[in-house]
Amino acid sequence: MSDLFRDLFPLVWSGMITGCLYALGALGLVMIFKSSRVVNFSHGNVAGFAAFLIYGFSSGMLMELSWGAAVLLAVIAVIAIAFMTYALISPLVFESDLTATIATLGIGLIAQGATLLIFGADIVSLDLPIPRFGMSVLGLFVTGYDLTVLAVAIVTIAALFFVIDHTKLGVAFRAISENPFAAEVCGLNLRSVHLFSWMVAAVLGVVGALLIVPTTFLSVTTVAAFMLQAFAAAVIGGFASLPGALLGGILIGVLMNLFTFYVSPEFSSTFLLGVILLALNIFPNGILERVGGTRV
Amino acid sequence: MMDRTTKALTGQGIALSFGGIEVLKGLDVQFRAGEITGLIGPNGAGKTSLFNCLTGAYTPQKGSIRYDGQPLDGLPPAARASRGIVRSFQHVALSPDLTVLENVMIGVARNHHAGWLHAFLPTGRGRREMAGMRAAAMAALSELGLAQAAEKLPAQLPPGMLRLVEIARAIVGKPDVLLLDEPAAGLNNAETRDLMRSLRRLASPDLVMVVVEHDMDLVMSICDRIYVLNFGAFVAVGSPAEVRADEEVVRIYLGSDDE
Amino acid sequence: MSDQSASLNGTAVGQGRLALRPEALTWAVLLLLLVLPFLLGGSWIFTLGVCFANAIGVLSVSVLVRYGGEVSIGHSFFAAVGAYSVAVLDTRYGLSLIASLPLALALGVVAGVAFAWPSRRLSGIYLAVSTMALALAVPEMINNMDGLTGGYEGLYVSQPVIPGVKMGLQRYYGALIVLALVVYGLSRLRRSRQGLVLLLAKAHPAAADAFGTRRVWARIAVMGISGGIAALCGAMLGFAGSTVSPSGFTLWSAIFLLVGSVVSFYGLTLPRALIGGAFLTLVPQMLSASGAWIPVLYGLALLGVILFGHYLPRLRALARRKGGA
Repeated sequence: MSDLFRDLFPLVWSGMITGCLYALGALGLVMIFKSSRVVNFSHGNVAGFAAFLIYGFSSGMLMELSWGAAVLLAVIAVIAIAFMTYALISPLVFESDLTATIATLGIGLIAQGATLLIFGADIVSLDLPIPRFGMSVLGLFVTGYDLTVLAVAIVTIAALFFVIDHTKLGVAFRAISENPFAAEVCGLNLRSVHLFSWMVAAVLGVVGALLIVPTTFLSVTTVAAFMLQAFAAAVIGGFASLPGALLGGILIGVLMNLFTFYVSPEFSSTFLLGVILLALNIFPNGILERVGGTRV
Repeated sequence: MMDRTTKALTGQGIALSFGGIEVLKGLDVQFRAGEITGLIGPNGAGKTSLFNCLTGAYTPQKGSIRYDGQPLDGLPPAARASRGIVRSFQHVALSPDLTVLENVMIGVARNHHAGWLHAFLPTGRGRREMAGMRAAAMAALSELGLAQAAEKLPAQLPPGMLRLVEIARAIVGKPDVLLLDEPAAGLNNAETRDLMRSLRRLASPDLVMVVVEHDMDLVMSICDRIYVLNFGAFVAVGSPAEVRADEEVVRIYLGSDDE
Repeated sequence: MSDQSASLNGTAVGQGRLALRPEALTWAVLLLLLVLPFLLGGSWIFTLGVCFANAIGVLSVSVLVRYGGEVSIGHSFFAAVGAYSVAVLDTRYGLSLIASLPLALALGVVAGVAFAWPSRRLSGIYLAVSTMALALAVPEMINNMDGLTGGYEGLYVSQPVIPGVKMGLQRYYGALIVLALVVYGLSRLRRSRQGLVLLLAKAHPAAADAFGTRRVWARIAVMGISGGIAALCGAMLGFAGSTVSPSGFTLWSAIFLLVGSVVSFYGLTLPRALIGGAFLTLVPQMLSASGAWIPVLYGLALLGVILFGHYLPRLRALARRKGGA
């Protein structure tokens, strides 16, 4: 019994921490889907490219900048990429969401290839300036990384929800995701709201990708693999609910941790496939739809 | 009670609501074989909703639907279709990838059962089946004067003709119950006259035919009985002459429609 | 759904007008491919065999788009099912393609139906997302069943279909014959009762329901057909390419199949399938020295073809207006 608790609590705790990062990825996917009905399959590859850019800008490979400047440059780069992506596919968005979704795969392929071309296929290590300490709280070992992730995730998500609830663009975003036609009739500009959500999603993706790197390492595939959990989180949340995505992210984080520890670390993708199929059957409209209404 | 020899599609106490709004308020209907029944009423009265309940696309919260004494409740649309209950759609629902003839052939598909092997391999049974379907579809198209359009794609035809193709698809499988949702919408006068003639020819002692229609001339001249629906309830039922004389009906139509 | 399929078809229909008497072209291409081994060297024969196998895979994705209005990026799974059916029967039991190809087809259909079942009420993007998870699960499934699959190392396919005939020719003609049969089967399907009702179910599920075709049946049937064809692709990739290993069945290979399908404008004819197959086979070969350019080029091709398909009707209209003035 005590063995179970000794393992269980740390597993749930660290699962929640990584889950916050999955949630950041999922929130971006959901924002894009809610506003423009497109599933952005390039999300992971673009975020991975950005993580490599930060490495390139700070390690001296491309430039030798301070850490903060490197992040800033990378964020500007992904915003520019999001802008270009949307500019390219926006004519498709208004015609067929499925075609536009296929087009995002094209963007993802290009981002993947660009990463390979510039940075190669090798694994690199990217050090984040994260306070290194660890302490024991009620028998739980909490590290500086955990607290950093938690703080960043809470601040980011709180800021996102504040923007959506209280700014003009956020209100427009909500209106458009409820009913695009009515919103357009009311004089809201669909394109600017789409752009807003694509750019915010890109930034969320970079934050998530960057913070996941210390738990593994940085290679062309790590961030894209990380994004599968984000997709799973979005599916659990119903793909159209921001709180659902947040909850889905944390749930996926915890479930993955428990599965890899108690069952098998080798079948994690198969497990995710099972979770996605199960979730789509049990909660086709998302986990929150059953429990109660969604807010955003 | 209904007499034993006549088949009928009956509904008892059909009630349907969406999010607290009552669309159908406990309707009792009896559509008899051998008659053409008209279903009229202003826009939003619930005519298409009633059709959707009859075909199984909607599940009414209350009431039961029977055909020839057999309950249909709980049967999905496809199962009702295989019992011979067929409809046309208010908004033309043809496949853009198929020719007019192929679209109409789908109307008899439910009477054929050759397996997958016959779909992929050049078997005699598959060929005979397709030839039979093609002949039936061609006959239905000719009946409606559309034979020359058989090999065209829907995108190449004007809306009025597509409406007739939709009807051809509904009648080709020799249904027992034929529900036509605004068959004359978008047709010009000559086409409407031809359609009326075809529908009258189609009427048979075994066929239940129900027509939702805005064209009063059509309804009054071909229907044997007319149900008038308003706000989800019947305000009048009877022969064309009776309905025409009904003050409530006149009020509804003068008050809310341009007829 | 209907608007999606309409635009996917818009591309296809527009392209159809460019083709000259498709039947004649198909026969000419087939005839050319039948005599080609007498004109070309061995390495080309090998490459073309793989190209035919890839063309089958492209068809499996195009069928799903054309008849289901759905997009999959998980077809590497069904291809792996086919490939390992062939490779395992070959290495463990010494059985040739004659035994393993029917098994591959059957397992592919079963796998397609089995995957479609839990997602039978889902459509569009939800299916696409679950196929992504499917594709990512494939390599780890293969690697963890290494007793059967040979794990990371893979398996070598060497059993001839007709003993005594040069293996290189068998690999080439085997793939070509299966490709031709798939194209033929699909052309039959288009004219069959099932083909007609599937196409109606894609455009107007409610109308299909009203004429006796359950939309759930339609969804499952299309996935079964598509999965079966994808398994044939995998089987022929193994046979024509001679090796089967997990690196051939990744998310990327599934995405590449979709790229091939888009590049061929979701065509189901022999020439179109060959365009897709050739794109998947020849581009990596030409860029073998600089592999990182492959995803870039595929991505550009994907975007380019989609945007071309989108703007084509407008360009046509513009050309017509200019011509008229």
